[in-house]
Amino acid sequence: MAKLIAIDPFNRLEGDLRIELEIDANTVISAKSSGIMFRGFERIMPGRSPMDALVITPRICGICSGSHGVAAAKCLAQAQGAEMPENGFHMKNLILGIEVVMSHLSHYYLLFAPDLTSPRYKKLRVYESVNQRFTAMSGSSVVLALKARQSALEIMGLVGGKWPNSLAIHPTGTTSTINLSSLTRTIGILNEFRDFLEKRFLGCALSEWLDIDSFDKLLEWQSNPQHGESDLGLFLTMCLEAGLDRIGKGPNRYISYGAYDLPDGSTWLPAGYFDGRTQPFDQSLIKEHIGASFFRDAVEARHPLDGVTSPLADKTGAYSWAKAPRYDGKTVEVGPLARMIIAGDPLLTDMVRQTDSSVMTRMFARLREMCRLTKEMSNWLERINPAEPFYAVPSSRFTSNGIGLTEAARGSLGHWMKISSNLIDNYQVVTPSAWNMSPRDENGQPGPVEQALTGVSVSDINDPVEVNHIIRSFDPCMSCTVH
Amino acid sequence: MHNLLWLQGASCGGDTISFLNSEQPSALSSFEVLDINLLWHPFLSRAQGDDVLNIFEDILSGKTKLDILILEGAIPNGPDNSGKFFMFHGRPFRDWLADFCKHAEMVMSVGTCAAFGGVVTGHENINEMSGLQFLHNQKGGLLGSEFISKNGLPVVNVPGCPSHPDWIVETMTALLKGWLDMDGLDEFHRPKVFFSKLAHHGCPRNEYYEFKASAVGYSQQGCLFEFLGCKGTLCESDCNERLWLGRTGSCTRGGFPCIACTSPLFPDKQRPYFSTRKIGDVPVTLPLDVPKAWFVGISGMSKLACPERLKKNAVSFKWIS
Repeated sequence: MAKLIAIDPFNRLEGDLRIELEIDANTVISAKSSGIMFRGFERIMPGRSPMDALVITPRICGICSGSHGVAAAKCLAQAQGAEMPENGFHMKNLILGIEVVMSHLSHYYLLFAPDLTSPRYKKLRVYESVNQRFTAMSGSSVVLALKARQSALEIMGLVGGKWPNSLAIHPTGTTSTINLSSLTRTIGILNEFRDFLEKRFLGCALSEWLDIDSFDKLLEWQSNPQHGESDLGLFLTMCLEAGLDRIGKGPNRYISYGAYDLPDGSTWLPAGYFDGRTQPFDQSLIKEHIGASFFRDAVEARHPLDGVTSPLADKTGAYSWAKAPRYDGKTVEVGPLARMIIAGDPLLTDMVRQTDSSVMTRMFARLREMCRLTKEMSNWLERINPAEPFYAVPSSRFTSNGIGLTEAARGSLGHWMKISSNLIDNYQVVTPSAWNMSPRDENGQPGPVEQALTGVSVSDINDPVEVNHIIRSFDPCMSCTVH
Repeated sequence: MHNLLWLQGASCGGDTISFLNSEQPSALSSFEVLDINLLWHPFLSRAQGDDVLNIFEDILSGKTKLDILILEGAIPNGPDNSGKFFMFHGRPFRDWLADFCKHAEMVMSVGTCAAFGGVVTGHENINEMSGLQFLHNQKGGLLGSEFISKNGLPVVNVPGCPSHPDWIVETMTALLKGWLDMDGLDEFHRPKVFFSKLAHHGCPRNEYYEFKASAVGYSQQGCLFEFLGCKGTLCESDCNERLWLGRTGSCTRGGFPCIACTSPLFPDKQRPYFSTRKIGDVPVTLPLDVPKAWFVGISGMSKLACPERLKKNAVSFKWIS
């Protein structure tokens, strides 16, 4: 006899989530992921000056305000036909980069790791160390990571003025500049953060860890006690002993919009669609479905440029305030795992080949990206020339529609803007967690997290720790999702 | 030991993220030094599902004393005043909140949304959001203008988008130590100690302001007030004296205008954000206590007196010595 259980509220993530599971003989046979709030940003936008998007849309999310700022600025740049000086690219990438690194760090230490301290794992030999380091809000590593985060965020003050909600990123560059003093200080802060990663998180040099290019080499790395006892080494042991490499299989289709634009027109992380192999990504194949969402519309699915946001709280059959984005009609996973696979990261490509997509691979992709970005930020910083401009004079006319695509910490983020008489006519946002946490679409296909939960065996319904791991491995941001 | 419950309404979580940027004491040690027992925080706490409901029920039954209630994020009242835009465990969130406020010794709103409605009330508030005791600059909100919590104070508002971590931690300190009374709050129930100054105070562009040496485009060093929309002369906050993120930055130090995010009228009444509205040649964003005629006279004279050094640098992105 199947039993219905709800985890409501499901928090320790951004925003509010309700999870409903149908469980039969301790196995999840279906899952529903619900965004339980309507915030209505898309209804606030029409009639405004396009530049207002820089102020309003970052406030969709407290963790990834800068990513929304980047998406809005790219949207406006397209509508204005704007050009950006070289320094503008590197400054923008630094702001986005530090935001993503800090998001991954907080996700691991504050949101994900506390589940590892569940009494369920008492029998594991690493249980005591894991508890000592990762207990929510007081674990020794949690406290150190928060301290490292707070110091590293000084970079955001130096290059972005303030954060969350910096307005430094504009379509034609950054309003902020860098001089000898802020440059020197930023180099020092980055160095200190790398030191935290090396001493506490990795137990080895950043470059040594980034050189690991296969799962076998990762296991070999871990066998050195200095590595094995680092926060990451301990996590790897935990993953293998607790079976986190065997739960949380996603749809195995991934997209990335590409991010960290470079002056030569390329991006540091490439765009792509992966379905067994990497193919070109085409934004025109995106449609948002509303079959199971609390919205009314004459049609079931629309491309975001023509999107409609008309709330209907009493809609029969609906269970989420999130729309359900699909790519060419298919569910896809977005986020660090998608980005690492599409970028051809050798370690993650090999891990997915050997162990499939799982809680472990998803977490390792996030932590891998955190390390890769920390290294790359130093390169961007080096390319900034304080003697050259950071900003170009923009045109005040917005002559075409705009599409702003980027990658936020949690995955692909897109803004679509329709312009009429130099004002916003329609503005639609599709967030990373809308992809991952989406409800069913018009064809009844469950969203990626709903799929990942289906089939998992839950040994204790009162402490469904497997479910916690799977959901949090996607790092959901429900604030974004129900924008 | 003081029991704290922190809730998030229609929120982006940004005030929690800002709170985590606190330096001394750090966010986590602020609980320790203020002898706070965190009953539940949606982003930080381990409890989820029914465990949260149990915490809630113990507060409502009086079993657990609620010393301090913090709300972050606006309160969704729509559609048609049903509260269905945010159902928390099957019940409108605002009803839970109203019940908790009755039990709380002190109530504090963190961020402009919880205080005044904030960004989600943009576009004439079609989504029916409100703050705890205000909607914009009008008293009322969820709890009504007469609401007084058990400690004798109305909801103490700590706005900002986001709120500064110091404002949050220091207000908790003042409340728990009993140092805050009605005289310490302004007409919008904000602690005067943070919100009786202007964001303009301490701005490194003040010499440019004095001589009306204005930037004409972003990323230039001149004053952002005359052309580029800066509301620092109206915005009640101590941002440029206090600074953000390890005392490294502020809006104007980042080269962009203050948009007066601590104001009850944020966001719509602060538009345009990136250009300055004027009547004739006089910006409408003059500090309220500066007589307009004097301003016109003085600024004409100071423009004439402006040193060459400032004129050049006002429109340059880097220092010209």
